[in-house]
Order: sequence, then structure tokens, then C-alpha cells
Amino acid sequence: MHALKIQNIEKIYGKVKVLKGIDLEIQPGQFLILVGPSGCGKSTLLNMIAGLEPVSNGNIFIGDRDVTHLDPKDRDIAMVFQSYALYPNMTVRQNIEFGLTIRKTEKSEQKKIVEKVSKLLQIESLLDRKPKQLSGGQRQRVAMGRALARDPSIFLFDEPLSNLDAKLRVEMRGEIKELHQREGTTIVYVTHDQIEAMTLGDVIAVMKDGEIQQFGPPQEIYDNPRNQFIASFMGSPSMNFIPCQAEKVDGDMPTMQITLESGNEKVKVPIKQNIKGLEAYAGKSVILGIRPEQITQQGEEKPDSAMLNCDVELIEPTGPDTLVTVRINGVKTVCRIHPTAESKVDKLMPLLLDMSKVVFFDPDTQERVY
Amino acid sequence: MNIKRVLIYSILSFAALIYLLPLVVMVITSLKDLDEIRSGTLLSMPQALNFDSWDKAWGSACTGVTCEGLKGYFWNSVLIVVPAVIISTVIGALNGYVLTKWKFRGSTLFFGMLLIGTMIPFQVVLLPMARMLGFLGLAGTTSGLIMVHIIYGLAFTTLFFRNYYISIPSELVNAARIDGAGFWMIFHRIILPLSIPIIVVSVIWQFTQIWNDFLFGVVYSSGDSQPITVALNNLVNTSTGVKEYNVDMAAAIIAALPTLFVYIVAGKYFVKGLTAGAVKG
Ligand SMILES: Nc1ncnc2c1ncn2[C@@H]1O[C@H](COP(=O)(O)OP(=O)(O)O)[C@@H](O)[C@H]1O
Ligand SMILES: [Mg+2]
Repeated sequence: MHALKIQNIEKIYGKVKVLKGIDLEIQPGQFLILVGPSGCGKSTLLNMIAGLEPVSNGNIFIGDRDVTHLDPKDRDIAMVFQSYALYPNMTVRQNIEFGLTIRKTEKSEQKKIVEKVSKLLQIESLLDRKPKQLSGGQRQRVAMGRALARDPSIFLFDEPLSNLDAKLRVEMRGEIKELHQREGTTIVYVTHDQIEAMTLGDVIAVMKDGEIQQFGPPQEIYDNPRNQFIASFMGSPSMNFIPCQAEKVDGDMPTMQITLESGNEKVKVPIKQNIKGLEAYAGKSVILGIRPEQITQQGEEKPDSAMLNCDVELIEPTGPDTLVTVRINGVKTVCRIHPTAESKVDKLMPLLLDMSKVVFFDPDTQERVY
Repeated sequence: MNIKRVLIYSILSFAALIYLLPLVVMVITSLKDLDEIRSGTLLSMPQALNFDSWDKAWGSACTGVTCEGLKGYFWNSVLIVVPAVIISTVIGALNGYVLTKWKFRGSTLFFGMLLIGTMIPFQVVLLPMARMLGFLGLAGTTSGLIMVHIIYGLAFTTLFFRNYYISIPSELVNAARIDGAGFWMIFHRIILPLSIPIIVVSVIWQFTQIWNDFLFGVVYSSGDSQPITVALNNLVNTSTGVKEYNVDMAAAIIAALPTLFVYIVAGKYFVKGLTAGAVKG
């Protein structure tokens, strides 16, 4: 039985279609991430699940109930907002109790819930403070506590970490994940941060311009992006897109090869992956998608790899590895190499391209070539 | 640096002196008797503290045909001001709440039209309003005058509250809606507790406007129900031989005292409220 089902949801503001027919379904206990660039309609979709925005078309089910036209209070949801939205005039305790009081939970029961939630989130010592006496991270915790207290069937998060500084963000990210694992809650979580999406999600819906571009587990989306937008959006640094000439090779396998060029070297690289659609690009240009970690320093030879001497343009050490920018087929290409590997700006560096996981895109439609 | 300071403070003190001078003259004059006024200059000090003219202005000066001072009219004004201020502030708060947190189709247009309301001069509404009061059977009554002040003030109070509430994040309202609170509960438990500064602004503004109003008072009220500003005018214009400057001054100060008082007590909050920015949670 699904925990949440969204059927062909549309949102129209005046003449602008902000959401263009969204379909989604998640199971109880799943952590769904809605990710996409700013303005793609994530918050709108979340607000419609919450009942804060009326639906223009389509249906929303929570469990087996059709909640499309129900008030937020009748949907059995709780929400954590980007600005936390703690009631400024109430103490932390009153903030947590507010929803319970309105729902006429008994006082003794309320007390138990506040105790349990504040213990879970380690905010026991803050219960009598006002929100303005709390730090950002503490406010974040209280906002989550307020949501948890209600024990709803679905939790909605709208960019809950984006107001925190980098370190705290990573910390709270871990805590949210832990909480989810421990409590088995169903969560819909909006973010524009692809790292948050990858680390937190059981399933990810990548959105753009009011449409879901791809829906699936994080690794699947990372490894098998359906188009160039998804490929560039997920992963940091972003996937390299190298236009190259494809040609047919006589013989059985492989049947296609591409040309890569850097400095004054030019190599023809056979494509050993079985990509049927690639044959249509024989004699034409195609976009090679290769992630930075798939271009490394010379080392142990892999079965499906190519060697290319590249002119180094930029070196950026990050600690665990070093990002080296080279130019392949005229475009800047980022490679992730081991920090001990020798590289110098303006010097040639032999690089190994792991071709076993590269992907191809059509240069015009930017769709994946399968 | 220091010279600059001195210069600034001297200019400010000078300006303050100029502004205070009329009040000083009024107070001094009100404490003199008529002989002293005639023999001395404007700024010469009274020989003794003599509150006779205050007594007279309050209790027995003639305002037209009756000679009972300002007393009754003072209470008339209180009776007009208190309900008019309270009601226009409450409705203004509700308007601001709806215009920012429960937007409806056409709410922007509605607000735009209200804004025009703040620019309409008193004189323009005089005749239509008189027709309307007559139509409602409220012509010449205190309730009629109260209603006029409420309606005229609404554009201002709505503007105040709307501009204040727009800085209260809508997420706060959304959070409360998800917590199960409805329209009134959110207003009363979340919005109102955040509104103190702007309530002070609205009350001070409306209080001074309505207390100081002369035109609506003189047009829409009559006889015993007139506000103090109209009575003051009558008092000064009623001539019984000699011009009693001391009584006139005392009466003018009495009429101005409540607004002075409100500014002194709440002026600090007034400035704070006008400049209050976002309400950070
Ligand atoms: N009340 C509204 N009226 C008109 N357009 C809106 C309204 N709210 C949001 N939008 C538009 O809908 C699009 C999606 O907004 P939103 O869901 O907030 O994006 P996201 O959360 O993904 O950044 C944006 O282009 C925004 O301008
Ligand atoms: Mg958003």
C-alpha cells in the first residue's frame, strides 16, 4: 500500500503552468527527495501535498484517502519550513504543544509527548526559551520536534537546512537521516542541493520546469541519468560533456568508436559498452558524458579504458583528491586524480579514461542515447 | 569631530527652542491675570502661579450661548475618540491580516483603492458623507461622527497593519494552519501577539487625528455633542467685552493635553513601530 500517491497534478497561476502533470508514488517509510533548480516548482508541489495551495488538476492520496480537497489540518501531515516558522511569541514547549492543544490532546499526554520528542532531539534544556534565544541549529531541531510531536503519517520538509552554515548543515543532515532510520517515518523532502538529495533519499525525483525528469534511487539517477540536464545537475563537480565525432568500425564488436583530442594528440576510442542507439550517430557528432572520477591518473589498467595525454590548465587540491582541469576536444574537462599523482599547469599529463560507465547524449535533444 | 558635535547640538537646541517657544508663551500667558498681560511683554514671567483662567476655561467660560467651559466637550471628545480609535484599529488589523495572509482574487486592487483613500482630502467627503448620515438617520449624532472617523481612518490603519504584516513570514501562518489553527485562532494566537508596535502606531495616529479633528466635528455634530476642538473655537470667538487671552490659552492647552500626553507616553513606541522591520522568528 502506498503512503503517498500523486496523480497527474497540475498547478496553474493565471496563464502560467507551474506544474505540468506530476505523477509520484512512495511506500510507507520511504524518504522521497524532490530536487531541482530554484523555481522548478518543488515548493509548490510540497505545498499542494500539505494542502496549503489548492490543486488546479489531479489528485493526491495519503494512504488510501483522497485528500485533494482537504484542509491541511485534516491530512495527517506535519511540515518543517525553511525559515523554521517557530511562533516567536511562544516558548519552545508552547511551540511543540500548540498543535496538540488545538487537537485537544490531553494535558498529561502532551507532557509525555514533549518529553519524548525533546529527548529524541536533545532540546530538553531549551524548552522554556523563546525562539529568538536559540541558535540556527537549535531552531531547526525545535521545528523538527514540533513536527514529530504530532506523529503524522507523512513529514514534509521544505529546504530545512538551507539557512544553516555548511558545517551544521552536514551535521543536521546526518541527524535527519538517523531519525528517519530509527523512526521509520515517511518523508517528502525538498532541496535544491544535489548532495543532500544523494545522501538522504531512498528515491529521488529530479524536477525541472514543473516536470519530473527522472524518478528513482539515488545511485540509479547518478549512474543512469536520462538526459543531460539530470547528468549535469546530479554530482559535484558536474559530469563533463565532450562533443566528439562518432564513426562505425568494420567487424563485429565493438561497432563504434569516437575521436578524442587533446594537445596535439588524437586517439580513437572504441566503445565496448553495448549502446545500440549509438550507431545512428555514425559520421556525426555525439556528446560524451564522463564524470570527473572516471578520468584518473595513470595506474592499474582497467579492461575498458583509454589513455590520453592532456594539457593541464588548472589544479585544485580538495584534500582527499585533486581536481585537474584539462581540455579535451576543445572543452574544459575536470578530472579527479589522486593527490600524490604528479601534475603541473601547462604540462602534459597522461590520463586514464574509464569508458565502462560513460554515457552518450544527443547534441540536439540532449536526451540520453541508449 | 568635537566642533562638529557642538555645532550639531547648538543647531538642534536652537530648533527645539523655536519649536517650544509658542508652548512656553501659552503656558506663561495662561498663568497671568489680564492686568499682567496688558502691562508686561509676551515673555515676561507671571508674578504668581494663578490657575484662575484654567478653572474658568474648564468650568465656566462661555462657548457660544452656554457658559459651562470646556468640561462637557472634553468628555464628548473622549466619547468620540475612544470607540473610533478602537474600532478603526481592530478593523485595520483584520484588513491587514486578510490582505497579507489570506489574499483573495482582487486583493491587490482592493488595497490599491484603499491607498487612494489615504489621499482624499477631508473636504471632498463632506457632502456625500452628510447625505449618507442623513440617509442612515445618524445626522448630528455622536454615533454618526464616530462612524465618519472610523471610515476615514480605516484607509490609514489598514495601510499601517498591511505594511507591518507583510514582513511577518507567511510560513508562520502556514505552520499554524498545519498545526490545525483556523483564521481567527491564527490571528489571535500568532499575529496579534506580534502586533504591539503597530497597534501603538495605529492608536497614536488615530487618537491625534480624531482628537484634533475640527472639520468633521463642526459639520457633523451639533450643540451639546460637539467635540472639544469645536468648543475651543467657540470659546475663543465668543466675545464678552474684553479678550481674555489667559483663558483662551488655558483652553487651548487643555484641548491639546491628551495628544501631548499620548506622544510623551508612547512616542518612543511610535517611532519604533514605524521603523519596525521584519519579525524574525
Ligand atoms: N503565488 C504565485 N503566483 C504566481 N507564480 C508563482 C506563485 N508562487 C510560485 N510561483 C511560480 O512558480 C514557480 C515555482 O515556484 P516554487 O515552487 O516556489 O519553486 P521552487 O520551490 O522549486 O524554487 C516559480 O517560477 C514561481 O515564480
Ligand atoms: Mg522553494
